[in-house]
Amino acid sequence: MKRNNIRIAIQKEGRLRNPSLEYLESLGLQFPKENGRTLVVPCKNADAEILYVRHSDVPQYVQNGAADFAIVGDNVLYEKDFKIREVEKLNFGKCSLVIAVPLDSSIQKIQDLEGERIATSYPNSLRKFLQKQKINAAIIEIRGSVEVAPALGLADAICDLTQTGNTLKENSLKTIETLFDSMAVFIESPFENIRKDEFINRFQL
Amino acid sequence: MNKIQPTILKGTRDFLPQEMMRRNVVMEIIRKTFEQFGYSPIETPIICPAETILGKYGEEGDRLTYSFKDRGGRLIALPYDLTVPFARFVAANYQDLPMPFKRYQIQRVWRAEKPQKGRLREFYQCDIDIIGSKSLICEVEIAKIIVSVFERLRIPNITIKVNSRRLMNAILQSFDIDQNDSLTVIRIIDKIAKIGKEAVISELRKMGIDNAEKIIATLTPEGTNKSTLEKISEYDIAELKEFLSYCTDLGVPEKNIQIDPTLARGLDYYTGLTFEVISEDADFGSICAGGRYDNLCGLFSDKDFSGVGVAFGFERIMLLLEQLKIAGNGKAPSQVLVTIFDENSVKDALQTYSKLIEANIATEIYIEPDKLSKQFKFADKKQIPFVLIQGPEEREKQEITIKRLQNGKQKTIPVNQLVSYLSNYYEAQ
Repeated sequence: MKRNNIRIAIQKEGRLRNPSLEYLESLGLQFPKENGRTLVVPCKNADAEILYVRHSDVPQYVQNGAADFAIVGDNVLYEKDFKIREVEKLNFGKCSLVIAVPLDSSIQKIQDLEGERIATSYPNSLRKFLQKQKINAAIIEIRGSVEVAPALGLADAICDLTQTGNTLKENSLKTIETLFDSMAVFIESPFENIRKDEFINRFQL
Repeated sequence: MNKIQPTILKGTRDFLPQEMMRRNVVMEIIRKTFEQFGYSPIETPIICPAETILGKYGEEGDRLTYSFKDRGGRLIALPYDLTVPFARFVAANYQDLPMPFKRYQIQRVWRAEKPQKGRLREFYQCDIDIIGSKSLICEVEIAKIIVSVFERLRIPNITIKVNSRRLMNAILQSFDIDQNDSLTVIRIIDKIAKIGKEAVISELRKMGIDNAEKIIATLTPEGTNKSTLEKISEYDIAELKEFLSYCTDLGVPEKNIQIDPTLARGLDYYTGLTFEVISEDADFGSICAGGRYDNLCGLFSDKDFSGVGVAFGFERIMLLLEQLKIAGNGKAPSQVLVTIFDENSVKDALQTYSKLIEANIATEIYIEPDKLSKQFKFADKKQIPFVLIQGPEEREKQEITIKRLQNGKQKTIPVNQLVSYLSNYYEAQ
C-alpha cells in the first residue's frame, strides 16, 4: 500500500498518551485535540497523521511499516521482542518491571522463586529473566490486576510494572528484584522512505 | 531346554529407548523441514522383484544388493537406495500424481557392505526428490533444503559440493577420453577423497590415460567458486553459473556451496548436477548426496521424467550429532509421573492421570501402589521431571504436591491449579 502521509503511532489511552502528544507538539507538529474516538488524526502543518492504537500493538504497526514512527514504552519492545531502531529516548513514561512478593512471603531472593507460581502480564520478559537466572517457575499469565493474584491464592509472586510503588504497597507486596527500567522511546520503521527522511530533517529528530 | 541365542545379524543393531528418542527428535526435524517445503510422504515395499533393483547402480551396487529367492522361486531384492524404488513408483503411479511431483521418503535400505563407522548393513535414508521438471529451480530448492535441515539440526560448517555430470563429460572428452571409458574414469575420480590425488592419477595412468595429471589439475577446485569457474570457462559452465545465481536469490549462503569439478558420484544414473554434502567435523564421508537423473523412470516406462533429489544419510547424521555432543539427551517422553500413595489413593490418582492426559500433558501413572521411594526411583530411571504425590492429608485439603526430581524442590498447590501449573511451567535451559 502506497501512502503519501507520514504516520506516527502513539498510545490510545494510558499514561504515555498525553506526554506523547506534548512531545509531538514540542517538535512543532500541529493537530486538533481529538475526542478520543478518532483513530487517525491529520496534522495541520505537515503531511502527517497521528495514529492512536493500543499500546501493546504499537510495535506491530511500526515493524510492518503501517506506521513510520511511534512513541512506545521500551518495556513493550522488550516484551514483544521487536528489534526496532530507537531514534531517541524520551524522558517520560518511566517505570520498572519488578518481581514482588507478599510482605510475609518466605520468598526473599530470586533463587527462592524456583518452582513457584509467578503471575504476570509480561510473560516473555519474565521468561527471559528466568532463563538468564536459570530459575524454573510456573508463569501464570493474566491480563490485568496482577497485584491481587497472590492474595487470591493464584500465585506466589508477581512480575509487573511499577511507577511509584504505591500499588504494590496497597496490596502488601514488596519488590525483591528489578528486571529493568523502562521509559518512552521514539522509534522508526525499518523501511526506507524519502518522506520519512524529509520528515526527520524538517522536525530535526 | 536349550535357549536360542538372542543374536542379531552383523551390520544390524537394536536401539534402546534413550537412543530411539534421540533418533525420533532428529527424524522429526528432518520430516518437518521436508514438509515445510511442500514435499509429500510416500512409502514403497521392502521386498521387491529383483529386476526393479539390480542393474541400476553399477557392478559394485549389484554386488552389495541383498537378494534371495522367495518360496515361489522368485528372485527378490531389498532396496539399495530410495531413488530407484521411487523411479519405479513414479512409472507405476504418475497418472495419480501432481506433476512436478515432490516427495519425501524415510525408510530403511540395505547394503551388504563391510560394516564401518556410520555405515551398517541396514540403515535409514531420508530422501527428497522433485520429478517432472528440468528447471534448475529444483536443484536450488534442494540446496536450500539441505542448508535448512543442517541449520535446524545445529550442525555447523557444512559444505555442499556441486558438480555437473554434463560438464565433467565435456572436460573428459576434451582430454580424449573415450566415451565408453568415461564412466570408469568417473568412478576412479570419485575415489579422490578416499584414496587421494596421487593414487587416482596412477590408477588412471594404468588405464592408459597419460594426461591424467593434467585432467586432475583441471578438475581440482580453486579457492573460490569464481576462480574455479574461471579456470574451466572454456567449457559450458552456464548451468553452474545459473545455479549459483539462483542460490543467491533463494538465500543459500555462498559459503555453503563449493563447485567441485572432481565430484563424481559413482552411481550410473546421474546426468546433470550432482551434490555431496560434507561436514568439517566428520571423519567419515558425505552426510547427504544426490543429483539429477534424466533417464531413470525410462527404465520402467515409456514416459520419461527428469528428476533431481538427494538422500540424507540418517545414521551418519546421528553419528555426527553425537560427535558434536548435540544429539540431545533422549529424555523419556513423559513429563509427569502420578504416584499412587496407597490402596485408598488409586481412585484419585487415576482421575489426576486422566485429567493431565486430557490436557495434553505427557503423563504416566505408576502402575501399582508401592513404596513411594520405589516410585521415585522409577521416575528417576526414566528421567521423568515431575512426580505428583497426594497423601491422605493433601487429599483432605484438595491439594497436591509436585516434586521436581532434578532438584528435590516440592510445591503444594490446589488440585484445581495442577494443569495450569504444569502447562505454564517454564524450564530454563
